[in-house]
Amino acid sequence: MRVDPNYVSNLAASLDQTQVSLQQLTSELSSGVRVTSLSTDPVAAGQNVLMLNQIQQDDSFTQSSSLVTGQLQVADSALGSVVSQLTQAISLATSANNGTMNASNVKSISSQIAGILSEVTTLANTSYQGQYIFAGGQTSAAPFSTSTATSPSVTTYSGDQNINYLQMPNGQQIQLNVPGNQIFMGSGSNSVFAALNSLVADYASGAVNTTQAVSDTQALNTALNYVSQQRVTIDNSITHLTAASDSVTSEKTQLTAAQTNLMQADVAKVSTQLSMAETQQTALEDVIAQLGSTSNSLFSKL
Amino acid sequence: MGTISSALSLTSQALDANQAALNVIANNVANANTPGYTVEAPNWQENSPIQISGVSNGDGATVTGATSQRSRVLLERLDQQQQLSSASGSRLAALNAIQALFTPDSGSASSAAGNIGSDVTGFFNSFSSLEANPTNSALREQALSSASTLAGDISNAAASLNQQRSGLDQDAVGIASQVNALTGAIAQLNQQIRSSSPNADAGTLEDQRQQDLSQLSQLIGINQITTENNGLSITTTSGQLLVSNGTTFQLTTGSVGGVTDFFVGSTDVTAQLASGGGSLGGVLTARDQDIPNVLASLDQMAYNVSTQTNALNNAGTDLAGDNGNAGDIFSAPTQVAGSAASMSVVMTDPNHIAAASLGQGTGDNSNAVAMANLASQLIVNGQTPSNFYSNFVTTLGSTVSNVGTENTAQNASVAQLQTQNNALSSVNLNDEASAMTTLERSYQAASQVFSMLNSIMASALNLGVQTSVS
Repeated sequence: MRVDPNYVSNLAASLDQTQVSLQQLTSELSSGVRVTSLSTDPVAAGQNVLMLNQIQQDDSFTQSSSLVTGQLQVADSALGSVVSQLTQAISLATSANNGTMNASNVKSISSQIAGILSEVTTLANTSYQGQYIFAGGQTSAAPFSTSTATSPSVTTYSGDQNINYLQMPNGQQIQLNVPGNQIFMGSGSNSVFAALNSLVADYASGAVNTTQAVSDTQALNTALNYVSQQRVTIDNSITHLTAASDSVTSEKTQLTAAQTNLMQADVAKVSTQLSMAETQQTALEDVIAQLGSTSNSLFSKL
Repeated sequence: MGTISSALSLTSQALDANQAALNVIANNVANANTPGYTVEAPNWQENSPIQISGVSNGDGATVTGATSQRSRVLLERLDQQQQLSSASGSRLAALNAIQALFTPDSGSASSAAGNIGSDVTGFFNSFSSLEANPTNSALREQALSSASTLAGDISNAAASLNQQRSGLDQDAVGIASQVNALTGAIAQLNQQIRSSSPNADAGTLEDQRQQDLSQLSQLIGINQITTENNGLSITTTSGQLLVSNGTTFQLTTGSVGGVTDFFVGSTDVTAQLASGGGSLGGVLTARDQDIPNVLASLDQMAYNVSTQTNALNNAGTDLAGDNGNAGDIFSAPTQVAGSAASMSVVMTDPNHIAAASLGQGTGDNSNAVAMANLASQLIVNGQTPSNFYSNFVTTLGSTVSNVGTENTAQNASVAQLQTQNNALSSVNLNDEASAMTTLERSYQAASQVFSMLNSIMASALNLGVQTSVS
């Protein structure tokens, strides 16, 4: 039988191969990453792109939701203050309507309600980070202003009907604002400003037209209920946002675990392979040393 | 007397023959490590017997030179396999350089740098963030800066691919000139072999020719056709003649469409060479197929992301009060091809990002929602940008992995054929040592016979007197 006399150089090629695999294993161990290039595991590399995409989206949503939660909470607390101001205005009006007050007391109630009106206007013009939150899309200018040219005075809304939504990674939308006119200037008897302005005018002279004043007080009461209803929308958004943020965070945790599983090196497995490769390398070197020595040639025996 | 003389001449012939055979062995040992050397075996030949008085008398042996231990079938198989393995090897090297541009993002911040997949997501996410506060200038800056990152990474990748492509182009030109040198050498050897050894193995000349063929097989895919008078014609695998006996047909180069094409005469053989094999085949496949494919994917991505984002930005209202003419974010590509390389951000003022819908107040975020939604729309070749990139890396990775597997298998096959060929044709020093010992012994034996015949002859000369002639 004929044999290849160059077997030592073939062994050297095997030794090269072993070194390549040693290098790959060492780099996996040192970086902790299993998929160091696309060809190591093309499918995992592709899935990794999608997982990271989802993780990044979740991250971004969590950040956005903490931003808008601040805005929604400011809106909610502003509306809370409006409700308590209006409650106070109603009790003032009720006391003025029972007919036991003298003219100066009634006038004082008129100016107190006017104070409440200006307070409510300020609240309706609440801004968050420089943006007016009850202005719809026209957030750069204060949406409510009151003109005293007529009696009763008229409060006008310069914002619009625009509603912003924050989109969740799954496509669901969360309402971020309620336009100011919807809250404060509802149609018919739902308008807070119309009711307040009327009441101020009703009591301004000190003489009370009870029928008119009672009906305006009722209108304010209706408007107060209406504001509370609108406030629920904002509260719902806060609840929705908190829940969404929680679920997105937990989704991110799971995805990160899965992604780590997919891409990271299994240290125990790699170490075992490394030690096997090292053993093989040592063995090959010994064999080459043995076979390569000149004393193995027949010439040395002649 | 005649018989003793003839016996003497017979032993001296044996001494000559043994010396000649030893010479062959010495030559083998001397060339044990010469590349391309094929081990030679002495040709022993029995001399024709002589008829004397009806009796056949043996007439000894002579060594008539040496024969190279060569199997041309095996060598041709080896060459063919070498062509395949060189092709996949050089293609693999090029593909590895390509995939190094798209190293997977393992999730850490450092590995995300330069990763186009993360860039795309980051870009669309910056519009999701803008939904929360559409007038916030920090968020707007963030959107522009992530657009720059995306455009920068895509155009860098495209620039690197174009560089690699022109590098491969130069490699191919270099390989072609080596091919020309080798085909020239083979044509010359063809002529020498034709005149010196038209009917038999040409020994050393054949060694050189086979050595050239094996080098040529690493460079280019060829067919070998043996012709009369021990000549050899070489064609490319698709049949284009390169060497016909003493004539060569050189590969010439010419620039076609920005890359170098290869010609034999006036025939453009570039596509044939690309599929033919050898490292030229691998380099041309990477240059004309793999890199253009990758570039095309990047172009698709760049073109669609740029045009869709620009279109939406021009369909909204920005902070500066532009209604429906807020301007482009990315430089507008005119065609798909080349849009990756030229991708850049032209917008400098973040106030020109149109977060609000047309005609809405600046606090509106619905256009930002629409832009963020591009991330989940099928805007790149019927896929979402992320899915498209994901498929792209999977496809590229699979190609690299497949070519790698192919290359490993072909290398193993080359190694196996090499082993078979070495077993037949390379110098085994142990064999040579044993042959040398055998020949030495038979030389000694012949000398001994000679010395005995000498003393017999002396006895005959002295006619029984022991001391006269010694």
